[in-house]
Amino acid sequence: MKRLTALMLTIVFVCMAVLSGCGLSATDNSENSSSTSTASGTTASGSSSTDANGLKVGFIYIGSVGDVGYTYAHDQGRKYLETTLKDKNITTLAVENVPETAEVEKSINNLIDQGCKAIFATSFGYMDFVEKAAKDHPDVKFFHCSGNKSNGTNFVNYFGQIEEGRYLSGIVAGLKTKTNKIGYVAAMQIPEVIRGIDFFTLGVRSVNPDAVVNVKWTNTWYDPQVEKDAATALLNEGNDVIAQHQDSTAAQIAAQEKNAFAIGYNSDSSKAAPKAYLTAPVWNWGVYYVDQVQKILDGTWKAENYLGGMKDGVVDIGPMTDLVDADIKAKVEEAKKKILDGSLNVLAGPIKDQTGAVKIPEGKVMTVEEQQSCKWFVEGVNGKINK
Amino acid sequence: MKNEVYIKIDNLTKTFGPVVANNNVCLEVKKGEIHALLGENGSGKSTLMNMLSGIYTPDSGSIYIKGKQVTFKTPKDSMAMGIGMIHQHFKLVEVLSAKDNIIAGQKESFFIGNKQLSQKIKNISEKYGLAVDINKKVYNMSVGEKQTVEILKVIYRGAEILILDEPTAVLTPQETEGLFNILKKMKQSGCSVIIITHKLNEVMEISDRITVLRKGETVGTVNKEDTSAAELTNLMVGKAVDLSINRVENNNNKTILDIKNLTVVDEENVKALDAISFSLSTGEILGVAGVAGSGQKELCEAIAGLYPIASGSIEYKGENIVGKNPRDIIKMGISMSFIPEDRLGMGLVASMGMVDNLILKEYQNQKGVFIEKKTARNLAEKLINKLEISTPGINHPVRQLSGGNIQKVLLGREIESNPDLLITAYPVRGLDINASYTIYDLLNEQKEKGVGILYIGEDLDVLIELCDKIMVVCNGRITGIAEASKITKEQLGLMMAGEHMEKVMGVGM
Amino acid sequence: MFRIIKRTDLTKKQSVIFRIIAIFGALVATSIFIMLIGFNPIDVYVSMLDGSFGSTYRFKEAIIQAIPLIITSLGISVAFRMKFWNIGAEGQIIMGAFAASYFALYHSNIPTGLLLLLMFVSAAITGGIWALIPAYFKAKFGTNETLFTLMMNYIAQKFLMYLQYGPWKDPNALGAGKIALFSDNASLPKVFGIHIGWIAAIVLVILMHIFINKTKRGYEIQVIGESENTARYAGMNVKKIILSSILLSGALCGMVGMFQVSGVNHTLSYQVANGVGFTAIITTWLAGLSAPVIVVACFLFAVLQQGGTYIQTAFNIHSSVAQILQGMILFFVLGSEFFIQYKLVRNRSTEHKIGKEAA
Repeated sequence: MKRLTALMLTIVFVCMAVLSGCGLSATDNSENSSSTSTASGTTASGSSSTDANGLKVGFIYIGSVGDVGYTYAHDQGRKYLETTLKDKNITTLAVENVPETAEVEKSINNLIDQGCKAIFATSFGYMDFVEKAAKDHPDVKFFHCSGNKSNGTNFVNYFGQIEEGRYLSGIVAGLKTKTNKIGYVAAMQIPEVIRGIDFFTLGVRSVNPDAVVNVKWTNTWYDPQVEKDAATALLNEGNDVIAQHQDSTAAQIAAQEKNAFAIGYNSDSSKAAPKAYLTAPVWNWGVYYVDQVQKILDGTWKAENYLGGMKDGVVDIGPMTDLVDADIKAKVEEAKKKILDGSLNVLAGPIKDQTGAVKIPEGKVMTVEEQQSCKWFVEGVNGKINK
Repeated sequence: MKNEVYIKIDNLTKTFGPVVANNNVCLEVKKGEIHALLGENGSGKSTLMNMLSGIYTPDSGSIYIKGKQVTFKTPKDSMAMGIGMIHQHFKLVEVLSAKDNIIAGQKESFFIGNKQLSQKIKNISEKYGLAVDINKKVYNMSVGEKQTVEILKVIYRGAEILILDEPTAVLTPQETEGLFNILKKMKQSGCSVIIITHKLNEVMEISDRITVLRKGETVGTVNKEDTSAAELTNLMVGKAVDLSINRVENNNNKTILDIKNLTVVDEENVKALDAISFSLSTGEILGVAGVAGSGQKELCEAIAGLYPIASGSIEYKGENIVGKNPRDIIKMGISMSFIPEDRLGMGLVASMGMVDNLILKEYQNQKGVFIEKKTARNLAEKLINKLEISTPGINHPVRQLSGGNIQKVLLGREIESNPDLLITAYPVRGLDINASYTIYDLLNEQKEKGVGILYIGEDLDVLIELCDKIMVVCNGRITGIAEASKITKEQLGLMMAGEHMEKVMGVGM
Repeated sequence: MFRIIKRTDLTKKQSVIFRIIAIFGALVATSIFIMLIGFNPIDVYVSMLDGSFGSTYRFKEAIIQAIPLIITSLGISVAFRMKFWNIGAEGQIIMGAFAASYFALYHSNIPTGLLLLLMFVSAAITGGIWALIPAYFKAKFGTNETLFTLMMNYIAQKFLMYLQYGPWKDPNALGAGKIALFSDNASLPKVFGIHIGWIAAIVLVILMHIFINKTKRGYEIQVIGESENTARYAGMNVKKIILSSILLSGALCGMVGMFQVSGVNHTLSYQVANGVGFTAIITTWLAGLSAPVIVVACFLFAVLQQGGTYIQTAFNIHSSVAQILQGMILFFVLGSEFFIQYKLVRNRSTEHKIGKEAA
């Protein structure tokens, strides 16, 4: 008996480790108190929630709102939606840490059960589950972020031309590097991430044609330790600026520890690594969320896919810190102005791939389809994509 | 000798749940006396001594040491008042030397020089005749030596009153004699000794006064000179008991078990049985005597197919059963009711009731996937009546039965399987006199039916009276096989210590 | 001053009552925590119940959570009865899911009934073998099964990770590390809106109860659990019984993998077991290894989990409150084991005084 008790205690610890590690449960944000709570208002009664006055909107997040990264950016958008449409009786429900498994389906069903009529699913890997749910629940509107599927009735995809932000941050990195080697910690080998690397590199090479971008894959969106290890490896290989496509700030922290510089992603991470952080391509999802929800409330919503750019305000380059020299800042501002007035289109050819072959010829612009199926690196990237 | 009263126990009562273990027990021990505490198992001797040594706290009543009332919260309190308890199971650290064991846990000893220490121990051992090499590691010691170390330990810690719980149970007669000499020396130097036992002959030999307990109550205290073994028994049991065991005459002489040069090797590569040979006939009880751990357990397990055999043969009804699995051996009619020290270790499943225990060896003969328990239920009812087993129910966990009842269940099951060969080890261990005699009767009944019985025992008196022949083992070897009617306890004792029978018989006769 | 005294007299009923008191104690202790973070515990508990029983959908969700817990607990209970500490259920579920998924993904043209049968059988066998490996090493070389089974979990998980990001990666996922959804062929049919795993669970509970209490093998397992020596003494082939029973234990866990991929997830991922293998250890222990009680314990935990997911959106509380409650329950139940075996007795104050004087 004694031995069994000891064993059980061991197991408790193991369970705790495992449960916390694989994110068994979805968790909600605790920061904002105005958001959800059926206790204080709207007891959702199914069909009435699409009425002009009142809508329950659900959000499904891959990470934690505290990640100061991707999920944080979406949650800022959710909060923006709530404050902007405060008097329209909007309620939002958010579920954190939902892995790209059948958990998605469950989370969607839970949200619908609690009365949500519009659901924003914010990770690429949710796509197939959202597609299935859209079929099962024709009365609910589904918005899937970063994917390439839609059904024209109640399931749309949305994303932003973050490449513009990537390009601008590439300019900063390209001018900041001394070794002409820039490291890039990348999550998954999907078009979204690959494009980010490509247009970052194009930004780098637009100001520093000798620089190369070295890529390391982590196969995770959010695993600070793995990301930090990848960044450290890149730093040890001589890269002196680290960019990343991850949901945490681990790469920036690694850069700071090695006295290098870092480009973030999603949101301002100057607090996490004040001595390394330069700037970051950032999202402003709130613009899109307010627009869509307002349309639903007005009854003018149409099932249209969305790809917003810097002009629409959905993407931007975050404020540059004091580590960015004034002349670099000026160069970035100049390029940004060009993007905004249309004289610079980062998607326009000529764009060559790693082998030097021209993929997008001069005079052509990368189409949405080409973007969504992009599986190649541009010239200047040192990395490999598994087929 | 002064008549100063060292310990006075006044109306002590101790209950465990509904069980009254001690009820208004009184006891008086004088300075310089050996006081025997006599009683059957469950009569409350151990409870009383545990209260005296601070392990239990009494519910009511008082203890006076040298006239002063005391309350012991822990064994330390008791130790501080000069009471030292020697338990049946020695509380020694095996890997340490005798000296380290003696000084372990003593605060002041840390600063005392090694020489001084050794000298102090030496003084004590000379004073009381406690001959032991204090630098010897405990694991190298014999049982008797370990006991001596225990005694040394408590005296070193200032004990003037020594309590010994069944000290002779594990000793050979010769070792017992040594112990008694020590106790006598202690008595002469003014210590008091309380010895717990149920062996009447020892009581008569060593003690000055005897207090008898029965069912948790004091029956009385008598002077040795004024009493006899018979009277003490009557006091213990509460009625006159015939102490002799009938030896049923054996007139059936077919060899059923023939063991030749049997050798088994234990995990440490030591020969636990070393080329032993003997044979057993139908209708014969062959007793096995020996100090605990001399190879008895290995012998039982080897015959039952549970112990790997290095060499030699075991012929049962003319067939060599070496290499057969336990299942087959059971089927051939060999029944082993091995009762290890904790009684429940091997023969019975502690948490199961009688029914589930009765089918333990029989269920594999049942056909099909499912288990049938009806026959076992009937058998359980039958055994309860026949052997007067007291249990709340046939499905009540056997763990919660008393020792005697557990043994009756075990032996009952083995006998009901109609064995041709019955191996039984320590079947009366821990049983009171009445229960023991029930078991002897059961064995004799089997003997009359022609069953060959191998009886591993510890009480030499019983062995001599019950068995036809007695085989003595020492360190895995047979030192002799003698007709029970032609040998004395002393001779058996010498053989247990390793002397060969030829020599012993020569000396003894 | 209290003294600790060993109990011998406790009946089964009393020890169950102790455990229920422990669960109640856990609820009270968690209440304090909930109050500290500023909520009304009664409301939260009611809301958790609402999250599991508030609508047909929620109730179904709770059942769907209970199914894998129940079957895994049954598997674990077989091993635990023999004091074989199988904490590798997680890995056995994963490997079962792996085998089932192989047929679902690469032989999806087989007719539904046969395909499901193939998936089921292969899952059971693979899960069983995954458990048999540590059992074999224990029987042969005396390795520690606790560590061995635990480590096997990680091997299974990493193996699946490899498949998910490697050879089994869905080519249509544009590089995302995921395995394709199963075809409808490979989906378990539903009865009353829940995949038929619930019927399987009920049947298995009944079978397990009969197996342990009415069959020879069940009896042998109980005897071995109590004392291997006794089992050998009674002529049982202990090793063979242990190995075959562990095979059964792993097979049950493997089945869970099949039910999860085919009935719930409709795809495979390395997170398929999702901690079920560990939670089930808790429920098995809570249930005292008894099959019927396992149903109760697992359902309780399923309600806790489902309610935990619900309160985070309904109350804006972190769903880890539910995990805290689970942890508390376990803590209290383990604590109650002490009181099942020992009791505290208050020393009388009069004695106390005398003691001081005497000392």
